[in-house]
Amino acid sequence: MQVGLTHWQFLQLFGRHIPSGGPGELESNNPDERKRGDELVRSDISGKLEINCLSCHNAHPGQDHAEYAVQIARQNYRWAAAAACEFGSVKGIAAAQIDTYDPLMGDAIATTYRENTFDHLKKVFFDIVRKVPNERCYFCHSNLDLSKDGSEKWTADEDVLLAAGLSCVDCHRNGLDHNIIRGYEGEDAASKNPLAASTTCEGCHTEGRLGAPVPEHPGIPPVHFEKLTCTACHSGPWPDQKTYRTKTSRAHALGVHGVKKTDEMLPHIMSPVFARQHDGKIAAHKLLWPAFWGSLKDKKVTPVSMEIVKRTARRVIGRRMLLPSGDWPALTAEHITKALTLLSSNESMEGEPVYICGGKLYRLDESGKLREPEEHPAAQPYLWPIAHNVRPAAQSLGVRRCEDCHSTDGPFFFGDVAVDTPVVSERDSVKKMVEFEGIGAFYAWAFAFSFVFRPWLKVVALVSAGLIGIVLLLYGLKALACVVKTLAEGD
Amino acid sequence: MFRTLSIIGFIVCFMGIAVCCIASPCKGCGWRPGQILRRLVHLFTMLFVEQRLNLIGVLRKLVYLLALLCFVVLAVTGFGPRLFFDKTISGYWLMLHATFAPVFAVCLAVLVVMWASHCRFTGSDWPWLQRLIRRVILAKTVSEKTGGARSGLGRKITFWLIVVLALPLIISIISSMFTLFGTYWQELLLDTHRYIALVLAMVIIVHTYLMIRTQMR
Repeated sequence: MQVGLTHWQFLQLFGRHIPSGGPGELESNNPDERKRGDELVRSDISGKLEINCLSCHNAHPGQDHAEYAVQIARQNYRWAAAAACEFGSVKGIAAAQIDTYDPLMGDAIATTYRENTFDHLKKVFFDIVRKVPNERCYFCHSNLDLSKDGSEKWTADEDVLLAAGLSCVDCHRNGLDHNIIRGYEGEDAASKNPLAASTTCEGCHTEGRLGAPVPEHPGIPPVHFEKLTCTACHSGPWPDQKTYRTKTSRAHALGVHGVKKTDEMLPHIMSPVFARQHDGKIAAHKLLWPAFWGSLKDKKVTPVSMEIVKRTARRVIGRRMLLPSGDWPALTAEHITKALTLLSSNESMEGEPVYICGGKLYRLDESGKLREPEEHPAAQPYLWPIAHNVRPAAQSLGVRRCEDCHSTDGPFFFGDVAVDTPVVSERDSVKKMVEFEGIGAFYAWAFAFSFVFRPWLKVVALVSAGLIGIVLLLYGLKALACVVKTLAEGD
Repeated sequence: MFRTLSIIGFIVCFMGIAVCCIASPCKGCGWRPGQILRRLVHLFTMLFVEQRLNLIGVLRKLVYLLALLCFVVLAVTGFGPRLFFDKTISGYWLMLHATFAPVFAVCLAVLVVMWASHCRFTGSDWPWLQRLIRRVILAKTVSEKTGGARSGLGRKITFWLIVVLALPLIISIISSMFTLFGTYWQELLLDTHRYIALVLAMVIIVHTYLMIRTQMR
């Protein structure tokens, strides 16, 4: 609601990648959330987007969630589940019907079932399984790393857990309440799932559950396990000097028909970004730089309604500026100034109009000129932890040597996190990874530099210990000789 | 557990030294301000004023002072985070600790080589050892005249304890830097290093006290 999205609009935009229910079934008594007049009429035609159990529990290979997404786009909510299953197809488009169309009486939108679906008793076999196949999860939970090797799925290695024969639901379990385990450390504090504490990386890999190997972590000081999560070393792509761009199912509508498949398609998600979590540990994350028009009041920034932005921004950022690749239009300071000026003259604006992008806040001064961009909490990037794809032990950070992370130019501390922004003059700016880790840059550099001398430290210490050992041995033998002599004299 | 033991250990160590100072003060030592000041000046001159030593003597003294400095830094950086903040050593504390550690190891090795002969146990130490044991078990002793340095035995014992403890101290932490040991053994090596360091620190404190007492005579 904060950005002016009703449940109806939310469904139109994001219903393609949810198993429905939730906003598809909500009826709110909040006057601010009541559907607009036209939406109320359309929802009578489209129906509710109810929970679609088949989207997860249908084991038949004919289950087609891409078709589900098509039906959502057509506003065929009450028919979407049938259209997505293997034996149904739906003709007609609810969005194209007149406001007085009666879906129960009319035949403009109709469901047809495949001829051999029903047996002689008019029964149909639903291939429903308790254990959800991986393919059902992939549609909403996939991502594509746009690495230098290419952005095709076949260029990336499969998650080692899946390659080992595990399925998604072997770890991400739930009961009838569908309180699905996410599997992060400390989840039991927030989740009522009774398996939340034990179904984590440690939960299986310290006890060998499900055949999980118990790791030795040879040569890794235990302090690493206090400061890092398992995913920091074992998840996501191997970090390079600059973060990769990643496309995800839900952000980029992967798998949906008719969607732009260019690498530049917005939003630009960066990965992996090593950042400190709320529990103080560093983990691998995906990162997104927010970009929105807002209003600043009492030092807080609130997003402006999309309707207002569309009316305002369109006058400044015309269609000709939009790129066919789906990338950012080339925004300049003049564009921002004009747009902010138009927003400030809008009567419905509460507070000072601002623009957030690229980690900065843009605002006008008293004379109407654009100020220097400044830092603001609302401009901070949004991060969410990642756990997949899991890399095997032989491809985990630190497997080669300590310098995988502890080097003065290593990506773990000194990799570049691209600052994504539509502002042309700021396009090349980067932030160092260490800024997200809550560690001083100089300390990280000095500590990494000390590893140059680590082999010498070992040699010097071992030689000193050897020398001490030899002296101890020498005088120990002398003492032994003395004792033997004394005992012999005693006899 | 380690924190508690460390605090207890250091308290016992310093209290023991204090009791020893009070119970058997060295000749000419007292607790009047003038006497304390004289003692501090004497200690200061031991460190900085030119003394009549040959090259080996000077080297030995320099190495000793460097080792003492390294010990202080290592003790502060090693025990400080745990005792005062109840945290594992990390950050700048760890960097300082790892910088002074090899210097300390080298100084120890040099001192061991230089002083081993001087600190070997001789026949004159035997009566004193017997007397020490009788004192410890509170048996009645007949006073015996003994020749030689009275408190030499204490220094020798602490010296050899330092030598014996230094070896596992160094090996435990260096071996953890190789990819030989998994997490379980890493934690064991770390605990070994911690507890040996605690005992070594107490022994070094006692040894230093005995050295100062000897110099004060």
